[in-house]
Amino acid sequence: MYPFPGGNAMPRKFMYFGIRPLAALMILSAIALSIAAQDDDPDPNSPTPILLTMNHSSRVIASPGIAKRRDDIARIAPQSFASGQNIVVFATNLDLMKGEGASAFRLYAQDSQRHVWRFTVTDIDEMSDSPGIYALTAKLNDEIGFWPEPTSAAVSLYLTWRGNASNPVKLDFGQLTDDAADLPGTVSAPLADALSQKNKSSRRVAAAAPAVNQVGYRWSGDRARFQEQTTFGMTSTQDNSIRRIGLRRWLNMQFETPYPSEAYPNDPPKPSTAPADCDNDQTVTPDVPETCYRDTYSMYKPQTWFMRESLYGNAQLRHRVAWALSQIWVTSGVDIQQGRYMVEYHKILSNNAFGNYRDLMKQMTLNPTMGAYLDMAGSTKTNPNENYAREIMQLFSIGLFMLNQDGTLQTDGNGNPIPTYDQNVVTNLTKVLTGWTYCTVAANCPNYVIGTPNYLDQLRLNNTANHDLTAKTLLTYPGSTTTNIAACTGCTGTAISTYAANSMDQALDNIFNHPNLAPYVSRTLIQQLVTSDPTPAYIGRVAAVFNNNGQGVRGDLKSVVRAILLDPEARGDAKTDPNYGKLREPVLFATNFLRAFGVRSADGTALFDGYITGRGEFTGMSQIPFMSPTVFNYYPPDYKVPGTTLLGPEFAIMNTGTSVTRANFVYRFTYNAIPIAVSAPNSPTGLSLDLTDLQTIAAGDSTANQLVDELNRRLMHGTMSSQMKAIILPAVTSITATDTLGRVRQAIYLVATSSQFQVQR
Amino acid sequence: MKMKGSRREFLKKSGSCALGMAAIATQMHHLGTMTAYAQRAIDASPLGGDDYKALVMLYWAGGNDGNNMLVPNHSDATISNYAAYSALRNTQGLAIAQASLLPIAVPRLGGLSYGLHPSLGIQTQNGTTIVNNGIHELWDLGKLAILPNVGTLVRPLTKAQYQNSSFQKPYQLFSHSDQTTQYQTSVSNTQAFTGWGGRISDRLTAGSNPNGLVPMVTSISGAQLFTSGQTTLPLAIADAGTALNSVLNPQGFGTNPTGSTLARKNAFDALRQIDLSSNYIGAASHVTDLAMQANASLQTSQEVTVTFPNTSIGRQFKQVARLIKKRLDLNVNRQIFYVQIGGFDTHTVQLSQHVSLFTQFSQAMRSFYEEMILQGISDRVTTFTMSDFGRTMNPAGSGSSVGTDHGWGNHMFVMGGAVSGGDFYGSLRPDGTGNYYPTLTLGGSDDTDTGTAPRGRWIPTTSVDQYSATLARWFGLPQDAATLSAVFPNLANFPGTYSQLGFLP
Repeated sequence: MYPFPGGNAMPRKFMYFGIRPLAALMILSAIALSIAAQDDDPDPNSPTPILLTMNHSSRVIASPGIAKRRDDIARIAPQSFASGQNIVVFATNLDLMKGEGASAFRLYAQDSQRHVWRFTVTDIDEMSDSPGIYALTAKLNDEIGFWPEPTSAAVSLYLTWRGNASNPVKLDFGQLTDDAADLPGTVSAPLADALSQKNKSSRRVAAAAPAVNQVGYRWSGDRARFQEQTTFGMTSTQDNSIRRIGLRRWLNMQFETPYPSEAYPNDPPKPSTAPADCDNDQTVTPDVPETCYRDTYSMYKPQTWFMRESLYGNAQLRHRVAWALSQIWVTSGVDIQQGRYMVEYHKILSNNAFGNYRDLMKQMTLNPTMGAYLDMAGSTKTNPNENYAREIMQLFSIGLFMLNQDGTLQTDGNGNPIPTYDQNVVTNLTKVLTGWTYCTVAANCPNYVIGTPNYLDQLRLNNTANHDLTAKTLLTYPGSTTTNIAACTGCTGTAISTYAANSMDQALDNIFNHPNLAPYVSRTLIQQLVTSDPTPAYIGRVAAVFNNNGQGVRGDLKSVVRAILLDPEARGDAKTDPNYGKLREPVLFATNFLRAFGVRSADGTALFDGYITGRGEFTGMSQIPFMSPTVFNYYPPDYKVPGTTLLGPEFAIMNTGTSVTRANFVYRFTYNAIPIAVSAPNSPTGLSLDLTDLQTIAAGDSTANQLVDELNRRLMHGTMSSQMKAIILPAVTSITATDTLGRVRQAIYLVATSSQFQVQR
Repeated sequence: MKMKGSRREFLKKSGSCALGMAAIATQMHHLGTMTAYAQRAIDASPLGGDDYKALVMLYWAGGNDGNNMLVPNHSDATISNYAAYSALRNTQGLAIAQASLLPIAVPRLGGLSYGLHPSLGIQTQNGTTIVNNGIHELWDLGKLAILPNVGTLVRPLTKAQYQNSSFQKPYQLFSHSDQTTQYQTSVSNTQAFTGWGGRISDRLTAGSNPNGLVPMVTSISGAQLFTSGQTTLPLAIADAGTALNSVLNPQGFGTNPTGSTLARKNAFDALRQIDLSSNYIGAASHVTDLAMQANASLQTSQEVTVTFPNTSIGRQFKQVARLIKKRLDLNVNRQIFYVQIGGFDTHTVQLSQHVSLFTQFSQAMRSFYEEMILQGISDRVTTFTMSDFGRTMNPAGSGSSVGTDHGWGNHMFVMGGAVSGGDFYGSLRPDGTGNYYPTLTLGGSDDTDTGTAPRGRWIPTTSVDQYSATLARWFGLPQDAATLSAVFPNLANFPGTYSQLGFLP
């Protein structure tokens, strides 16, 4: 039986969230402190939807057509359903925002083999005579058609909304099952109980609502989740700060925090052919400095800087959004020779992380590193290269197929996706972008050094004869502007320069105003920051902000980032939707882990120098900053978790090999410091964790409960299940209580290697 | 072809089952390798896995320039000859000298001579042959076939159709990522999220490897779309630089953990069996479970006999050979492997790059072939190549830095004891025009380009789908229409014996 106000005890599955005795003390003492500080933040928790069932079973109340009145619902008889049929189910305990409708919901069926089907909810109606009870209509067509139809007669059905799942209920599929044959795991929520509630609000606010937190302060689960989404991992300092000022103020401060905390590497680039004093050969002409080759001709400097900024930087949100953008606008040291070249590229990401997408597009188009990586630099009217023209549309802005504003695919009359552009558009956009190359005219290129490729100044039209002067036709879409660029007949000299620059702006406007841009970018950023498979409603809310930030500005990333992070689908202490969350990608997995345990140099006396990017424990996980294997990023945004219908981009690099590397990464750094032993001149600091505070906790509690609770708080924002704790505790206490370090390591290893931690929810 | 026919006849008469045709055929040509023969005889008797088959994909990442790998070596004026080739590449310094080509006779073209790149033959270093003789010899042994001008296609295509913008063509031609995806998925009209290796595995695992201890598909080169199916998760492991018993070994447990280490190990394993109501957690746990299960089955290792070159691709092939040697332990009847060599995106300095890359993969392939002979299984293992695309016939730049740009149609190798080698395979254009080997004319009938500066990007005559489907058919994929259309959705667009290009039985 599902709990309503004044109802029965909580079903067992919700007992995970019961308050543990030790934590309760902490909560009691802390609530007073935290409430005042969090005045600006509303309760982050959305109610948990409840699917209504028959009075004496967990069978869902469902009919093929909408029932208008409460009496009609009560009369709905048990029935079975088939593929392709419409189904109407009834839910309560919802609190809809303005404009929130059917696309905020998803209906899932799951059989005993754990095959999952997803049905699109097409309509939602509040019952006129029973406010607070909603009729949801869906069509029993699997959205993705992954599995064949269920073969069992009864499947488990659940409704998800804002990252929370309803009680699972029984749906008869193909044939009617016996009432007595309850489906294991399903939970009844009798209609009669809901109707017996006197008013709308009590129907709405059921006891299952906020899964109140287990360890820590009020909403500390949400705060920890927030840090997983906005930073490179929770630290106690950061956590305290957000607790004091609240999420919203912290966001506003982050938007203004100076970046980077440590200056970008700033060494001058070198010639493409390594000079004798920088060629990694010390025998004839010693290198100056001895590390010159590594520092110049590899990604060492930007990589180690990136890791230090991730682990210790103050402007965490900007760094994180830049990291997300770098996985859309991909360049890579696989093809780019010098580390310094990546710095100018990264500056564009970080400068525009809270800026406007249109500026980002322009600066990237003129960035020499991008120009080299995707061959726009040097593309001429007689020898054009389509690479950048193709990828700026396909990967960086609008994608291959026409989207609705909520990110769902548009289809033609035959149900096929509609391409956003064809080869003609690629050819024409390529023409627009011809003639640009590395800036090599001393008077116009302040950073130009003869003999060294100029990756610091923007690309330039050095030779106007290389620009294509013919007419071009670009993207055509409803409301498209600047689609046609006229020929520049008879143009010469500066007229061409002006024409080429104007044409580029027109072409970028043509892309920027494409209706796909908002849903495409919004979905990708949500996937990067919050969850892999967001609802159309969530994408739609963010896309609306992308289209107009409230002041009539399109493409304002600051507003977009805020909208993503403060959305109810992002917020809440815990998310119970089985299809919510994302696999921690290796960089975040590593930094989340290292920041949680006070990462520092091997001898513990200084900060870690960030040199992890060349170590096998890290590189084996298949995500090395500044070294994406292809322009398709480390993983594609459309990747589906094998065997499921779920989007899970990061799972593309989660395989048997990398899953073990992840465990070994944890082992290596939990049980060993990386020594300084690497020979001079490279002299990395090595790496160690500071586990003393955890040892203190371990020393004070021989049951190890407090230790595991603390790891639950730090790594899993309080979502550790009682089963999980029950497995970990005896393994920890198998080590003698006096060996506090041994116990701490044992506990960290088990929590950090678990899939429960690997998945950020 | 007569020679091949007679060889086959002989083998039929010999009545040998356990010994592969290739094994004996090779033996006939290598009378000096008696130890190998003896070894085979020993290996052959206990082989229970008579039904075993393996496919090995060698992927040339970056887009290999097949134009310099397979060159006309004749002067027949009715078909593109060496002079036609040379005329398009010599001025810029990209032509391979005719004298250095390794000749191969092509029965299908009336015995005309073509030439393989010199790095595909015997390579000597300080007067000594390095590792082995390369793949060129396998042509005459009938164990190496070539498919010229293969590429991504949605349906057969003529130049006129190519120029008609409404005719269906692969999306995003000449783009690395898209063309790689299309080769690996065998779907060129729309984005696909599973690879054709994975889809074959989806359909064959239950029947062929019902209790396999490792997945059907293994990548020795990271996550690849080719290896992922709807239900198939590939085994992804490191190359032979890491022993099999270490590739998936979680550190810190030792071989026989006790006490608190055992407690940690048990808890580590137990945590993967709970909290599965989250589908993401379930998926992550499933992958790790698979790794742990494979790890347990890989603890006893069998070393290979042949010396493989110590290159990345050599070590990858060696790791494949190790796994094949363990096939009985692993309880698998069908396996698909993926290995990869990168560096083929030769916009510049192609000549020296090719020498290095061709030597590497040729040496590695030959070592693998010889090891399969020694394992007595060479006729059950077929190795084939794929690549992003071919490259422009018209060079990019000139002189020492000369290279090529992104093209389309390309030439592919298929190697193995079951291969009807020593010939070209493929199809002609739908209108009957064209030839197996493209017509080397810029702006000509096989070139996508027209106008003032055509580059020579060959419109493929044979599709990836036909190529893959022929391999899949040999491998045992059921040939009913439903299965074929699920695994190769566009195959039916290629009429006739579309999954029987004939290079495999």
